[in-house]
Amino acid sequence: MDSLSAATAESFRLLFSGDAELWIIIFTSFSVSVKAILIAVPVAFLIAFLMAHLRYPGRRAMIAGFSAMQSIPAVVVGLTVYLVFSRSGPLGDLKLLFTQTSMVIGQALLALPLLVALSHAAFQAADRRVWETAVTLGARPARAFLTLIHEVRFGLTAALIAAFGRIIAEVGCSMMVGGNILGYTRNIPTAIALETTKGEFAQAIALGMVLLMLALVLNGLLAFFQGRGVMSS
Amino acid sequence: MNEILRYSELRKSVHGRLLFEIGTLAILERHCVALSGRNGAGKSTLLRIIAGLEAPDSATVSYRGQDLSWRRASARLRGDVIYLHQQPYLFDRSVTDNIAYGLRRRGLSLREISGKVSEALEWAGIGHLQMRNARDLSGGERQRVAFARARILSPRILLLDEPTSNMDSESRGQAYGMIRRLKEEGVSIIVATHEYHTIAHLCDEHLLLQAGGLQQQDAAEDGERKIIPYG
Repeated sequence: MDSLSAATAESFRLLFSGDAELWIIIFTSFSVSVKAILIAVPVAFLIAFLMAHLRYPGRRAMIAGFSAMQSIPAVVVGLTVYLVFSRSGPLGDLKLLFTQTSMVIGQALLALPLLVALSHAAFQAADRRVWETAVTLGARPARAFLTLIHEVRFGLTAALIAAFGRIIAEVGCSMMVGGNILGYTRNIPTAIALETTKGEFAQAIALGMVLLMLALVLNGLLAFFQGRGVMSS
Repeated sequence: MNEILRYSELRKSVHGRLLFEIGTLAILERHCVALSGRNGAGKSTLLRIIAGLEAPDSATVSYRGQDLSWRRASARLRGDVIYLHQQPYLFDRSVTDNIAYGLRRRGLSLREISGKVSEALEWAGIGHLQMRNARDLSGGERQRVAFARARILSPRILLLDEPTSNMDSESRGQAYGMIRRLKEEGVSIIVATHEYHTIAHLCDEHLLLQAGGLQQQDAAEDGERKIIPYG
């Protein structure tokens, strides 16, 4: 019990004394996950929009597929990316394994199904008149699409927050494709896993608190935007 | 009067059921047409096809004397033909931004846009609403914003889908006033309605969409027959 109290006290010291190692881990985590979201969002919004507004063969299967892919374990995505970028893999020559780039790719793939499924629901719920009004007022398809995004922005923001919450806390994919290299690919979840197995709880607790705070903030934002979405619809 | 747009051999079916088949539909310059018919006759669908929002099964379109496919005509007519929904959709932004929406696509300077928006606000009598979010307006106010937003683009043809349904008499009167002024400004108008008598005083012609065909109910002002029932 004493050692746990001491570890907790030390974790506060690490957090508030500006411990370089700790803050590099936090920065790496945010940097990788933000880049992954920035890559996944435009692709996901476009796929979700097409699924919501076009009728084509295989559409229902596509919707069901993205819905099912939400539950793919992070470690399976990690394994897939690992195999693709491993030395004997099809993209092994790119030498991306154990780099932040491979982590970004893995997290983007992990975020994509969730983003598609949630933003599809937002686009599906959008009033048909949004698109038609934009078009009849002279907007070209790209402009009408941006107008539609603006009109369903609360639902889309909620999708973005939910996806960010998923990838910043995942450990399986980052551990496999990043390699948990200190100062380069070690992020919050992989650092917590490592420090805990080493019995070094102070840093793990400090990083755990960061994740907990982030989860609270993200959930607060999620509730806010989902509420705004309902009110504005 | 000059013909602006002509649809020939226009056919539309929904879920395998023929909705209408129209031999010729011509839209004349500065002409107001009332399009009546029972609920489900296809009035809204016909307007949406003309607006380029819904594809017909088949049609030939003649625009400014050029024969075009429906798809090409829709692209060509963008901005020239404006469709107003039964309950117009206003974007979740200020009244000013709503009115300026179409103009921003036309490469005008901010100064020109501002001037035109001010003029449109005054025209519709909604200057006092300019900074309000359009979502917070009443039904009648929304309708006036929608008219101003359409008029600012100087359309050649305005398609109004039941523009006065669910309105109180004051808002209805204001809508009629705006339709009359638009007509005086040279805009060709088609008004879909299931209560022709309410709009009769504004229109030059009455078309009835019934049993899958379009029938001319009143003689045209110049005596020339412009609508030929299919078959």
